[in-house]
Amino acid sequence: MIMHTPIMMTTLISLTLPIFATLINPYKKRSYPDYVKTTVMCAFITSLPSTTLFILLNQETTIWSWHWMMTQTLDLTLSFKLDYFSMMFIPIALFITWSIMEFSLWYMNSDPNINQFFKYLLIFLTAMLILVTANNLFQFFIGWEGVGIMSFLLISWWHARTDANTAAIQAILYNRIGDIGLILAMTWFLLHYNSWDLQQMLALNSNSSSLPLVSLPLAAAGKSAQFGLHPWLPSAMEGPTPVSALLHSSTMVIAGVFLLIRFHPLMETNTMIQNLTLCLGATTTLFAAICALTQNDIKKIVAFSTSSQLGLMMVTIGINQPYLAFLHICTHAFFKAMLFMCSGSIIHNLNNEQDIRKMGGLFKTMPLTSTSMIIGNLALTGMPFLTGFYSKDLIIEATNTSYTNAWALFITLIATSLTSAYSTRTILLILTGQPRFPAMTNINENNPTLLNPIKRLTMGSMVTGFLITNNIPPTSPPQPMMPLYLKLSALCATALGFLAALDLTLMTNKLKMKNPSQVFKFSNMLGYFPTTIHRTIPYQNLLMSQNLVLLLLDSTWLEKSMPKTISQAHITASMTMTTQKGMIKLYSLSFLIPLTLALFLMM
Amino acid sequence: MNPLAQPIIYTTMITGTLITTLSSHWFLAWVGLEMNMLAFIPILMKKTNPRSTEAAIKYFLMQSTASMVLMMAIISNNLLSGCWTTTSYINQPPSLMMMTALAMKLGMAPFHFWVPEVTQGTPLTSGLLLLTWQKLAPISIMYQIHPSINIHILLTLSTLSTAMGSWGGLNQTQLRKILGYSSITHMGWMMMTLVYNPMTTIFYLTIYIILTTTMFLTLNLSSSTTTLMLSRTWNKSTHLAPLMAPILMSLGGLPPLTGFLPKWIIIQELTMNNSFLIPSIMTIMTLLNLYFYMRLIYTTSLTLFPTSNNTKMTWQLENTKPMPLIPPLIITSTLLLPISPLLLTFH
Repeated sequence: MIMHTPIMMTTLISLTLPIFATLINPYKKRSYPDYVKTTVMCAFITSLPSTTLFILLNQETTIWSWHWMMTQTLDLTLSFKLDYFSMMFIPIALFITWSIMEFSLWYMNSDPNINQFFKYLLIFLTAMLILVTANNLFQFFIGWEGVGIMSFLLISWWHARTDANTAAIQAILYNRIGDIGLILAMTWFLLHYNSWDLQQMLALNSNSSSLPLVSLPLAAAGKSAQFGLHPWLPSAMEGPTPVSALLHSSTMVIAGVFLLIRFHPLMETNTMIQNLTLCLGATTTLFAAICALTQNDIKKIVAFSTSSQLGLMMVTIGINQPYLAFLHICTHAFFKAMLFMCSGSIIHNLNNEQDIRKMGGLFKTMPLTSTSMIIGNLALTGMPFLTGFYSKDLIIEATNTSYTNAWALFITLIATSLTSAYSTRTILLILTGQPRFPAMTNINENNPTLLNPIKRLTMGSMVTGFLITNNIPPTSPPQPMMPLYLKLSALCATALGFLAALDLTLMTNKLKMKNPSQVFKFSNMLGYFPTTIHRTIPYQNLLMSQNLVLLLLDSTWLEKSMPKTISQAHITASMTMTTQKGMIKLYSLSFLIPLTLALFLMM
Repeated sequence: MNPLAQPIIYTTMITGTLITTLSSHWFLAWVGLEMNMLAFIPILMKKTNPRSTEAAIKYFLMQSTASMVLMMAIISNNLLSGCWTTTSYINQPPSLMMMTALAMKLGMAPFHFWVPEVTQGTPLTSGLLLLTWQKLAPISIMYQIHPSINIHILLTLSTLSTAMGSWGGLNQTQLRKILGYSSITHMGWMMMTLVYNPMTTIFYLTIYIILTTTMFLTLNLSSSTTTLMLSRTWNKSTHLAPLMAPILMSLGGLPPLTGFLPKWIIIQELTMNNSFLIPSIMTIMTLLNLYFYMRLIYTTSLTLFPTSNNTKMTWQLENTKPMPLIPPLIITSTLLLPISPLLLTFH
C-alpha cells in the first residue's frame, strides 16, 4: 500500500496550521515562534518516512484533488506531483527551515514583530512547497509568485531603511522581468498543447518550437539571478540573515533552476537551448566569482557565492544533466544556509559589524562558529568526501567529458578555482590574524538556540552528500571512464585557487598597499553593471519622453511650426515693406528697372 | 480753394476722365489723362501745408512719368502697326509699356510706393477722389487693351499688389495710409481677371468705389485720420460706431456682405479657367487685409476706448459737417449680396 502519499500530504497541510492559528487563535500558550518552529520540526519528521518509502518503492504519485476551474478547453485542478524531485526536496527544505527558524529565534530575539517574521517565513515555506509539488503550471505560478512576494516582504523587513526598500523593489523588478518568460511559456503551452499539466506537456513533445524553450531560461534567469538579471541577489542581503539563509541561498533562488529541471525532457532534444543555458550559466558563475573576490561585506560574499553556484547549476542543465543539478541543489542548500547562519552569528556578536576588514581573530573567541564556517567553506569548494564534493565534482567531471562549448567549460573551471580563492580570503580575514574590531565587544556564542542549528547543519554538510548519493534511485548514468587529469581537474583547480589566495593574503600583510588597479575596481563595482543599467536606461527613457512630448509635440509641432512661424513671417514682411524712406528717386528707379527688365525678358 | 477756381478745376478733372473713356484715338486718350492729372494737383493741395505740397509733387512726378511712358508706348505702337485706334490689337512691347505705365498710374505693385504717402498727405475728401475717381480713366484704357495684355506680367503684378497691400497695411495706424494700402490690394484683385473676363473688373471697380466712398465719408464725418481718433467715434456719432464694423468687414470681403461678391466672382472666373493656385494665394493674402480692418473694428465698435471727460459730451452737440448720401451708401455697401443675380446680369 502506498503510504507515503497521505503522509506527505499530512506534512504539507500541517504546515498551514500555524498560519490559520494567527487568524483564529489570539491566545497562545507559549510563544508563537516556538510553536512555528516545532510545527516545522514535526513536519520534517513526518516527511522522512514518506521519502524513505518513496526511495524504497520508487513509486511516483500524482494527486489530483479539487477541480478548480473548468473552461471549454482547459481544466484546472489542484494537483500535487510527488515524484523524485519533490520528495527529495521537501525533507531537505523542511530540515533547513527548521534550523533557520531555530536560529532566528536567537537572531531576531529583540525584534518586536518576531511573530510576524515567523509567519512570513512559514508562508514563504508553504509557497515554496506548493511550487515544488505543483503538477500544473498554474499551481507552479502560484508558488512562484508567492515566493516572490514573500521575498519582497522579507527583504524589506526593516522597512524604515531606504536601502532595504530599494533592494526589495529591485528584487521584484528583476523577478518580474523573468516572469515575462514564464507567462510566455504558459501562454504558448496553453495555445499549442491546450493544457498546463506537466504530464501532457512533457509527453506531447511534437513540434519542439524554440519559443517556450527560450522563455523558460528567461524565467529561470530572473528568479535564479543569472547574469543580466543578477543585481537583485546581492542587494537582497539588506534583509535579515535568516531571510538570506532561507530564501536567497537554499530555496527561493533555486526555483528557477527547478523549473528547468522539471522541463528537462523538452530541453533534451534542443541543442540551441542547451547551449544558451550553458553559456548563460558559465558567464554567471565566472562573473559572480570575480565579483566575490573583492567584496568587503560577509553577506555579499556569500550572496555572490550563491550566485556562482546557481550559475553552476545552470551549466549542469546546459550539459543535459538535470539530476546532477538537482543533487547540487540539495547539497548546496546545507552548506550555504550554514554559511549564512555563521555570518549571522558573527555579525550579531560583533555588534552588527558586517565588514570583513573590521573582523579578525575570531577563531579563538568563537570556536564553534569558526569551525562550522571552515567546514562549510570546504564543502563549498568541493573538498573530497564532504557534501559539496559529491555534487560539484560530479558536475565538473560531467562538463569535462561532455561534447559542448569548450569556452564555457573552461571558465567554469576558472570559477571553481576562484571559489576556493574567495573562500580562503574570507576565512583568513575573518577568522585568523589579530582582531580588528573594537576591544569592548561582547562576544558570546554559548546559546543553544544559536548553536544547535549550526551543529545540525554542520553534520548535514559533512554526511548528507554521502547519504543522498548512496540512497537515491539510479538516475542518469555518470561517466565511468576518463583520463586521470580530467578526474583531478576540479581538485587541482580548487587547490590552485586556495594556494594563490593564501599566498596573496599573506603577502598583503607584509608589503605596502598599492592603489586599486582597474581589474580590482571592475570586480569591486560588480562589473559596473548596476551602476550603468540602473540609472542609464530609465534616465534615457524619461529624457526621451520629455523631449518628445514637451519639445517636439507641444512646443514645436503645435506652437512653433505653424502659428509662430507664420506670424513671424508676416510681421517681418510687413516691417520690411513699410520702412521706406520716401525718396522719389527710389520710386522712379523701382519703375525703371522692372520696366526694362520686362522689356528685355519678354522680347 | 478759391470758390471761383473750384468749379473750373473740378470740371476739368471730370472732363479729362470723360475724354479718356470716350475717345478712340490714342492721342486724345493721353490728353484726357494729362488734363485729369493737372486738374487734380490743386485738389490735392486743398490745405496749403508742406505735407500736401509734398504729396502733390510726388503725385505729379509719378503720374507724369507714367504718362510719358504711355506716350512712348502709343508712338511705338504706331510705328509698328500704324494704328491710332484704341480698340485694335497692340503689339507686345508697346503693350507691355502701356501696362506698366497704367499700373503705375493705378498704384499697383511694384510701383505702389507713392499711394500711401500721397493719400496720407491730403485731406480725406481729396484722398477719396484720389482712390476712386482717378482709377476710372486708367482702367478704361486697360479695358480697351485687354486682348493684347501679357497674362504673366499682369498676374505677377496682381499677386504682388495683393501681397504688398496686405503686408504694408499691417504696420499702420494712420487711416489714410490703411485705405491707401487697401486700394493697392483691391487693384491687384481687379487686374487679375482682366484677361479672363473684363466685365468682372468693371464690376469689382463699381463695388470698390461704393465701399471706399462709404469708408471715406464715414471717416470724414468724425474727421478721424488715425486709429486713436477713430476710437472716439462712439462719442462723436454714436450710431455710426457699430456701423463701421459691417462696412469694414465688407471692405475685407467677408460674406454675407457686399464686398464678398466681387471676390467670389473673380475666384469663379479664375477657377473656370483652371487656375487654382493664384486665387488661393490671393485669398490668403487678403486675409491680412481683413486682419487690420478687424483692428479698426476693434477700436471702434467692439471696445470703448478710454477718453478724457471733455470728449464725452461731443455727441450732444449738433453735427455741422455735410453727410452726403452716407445712409444709402452704407446700405449698398453691406446688403447687396442677396440681389447679386440682378447685379451679375450686367456682366
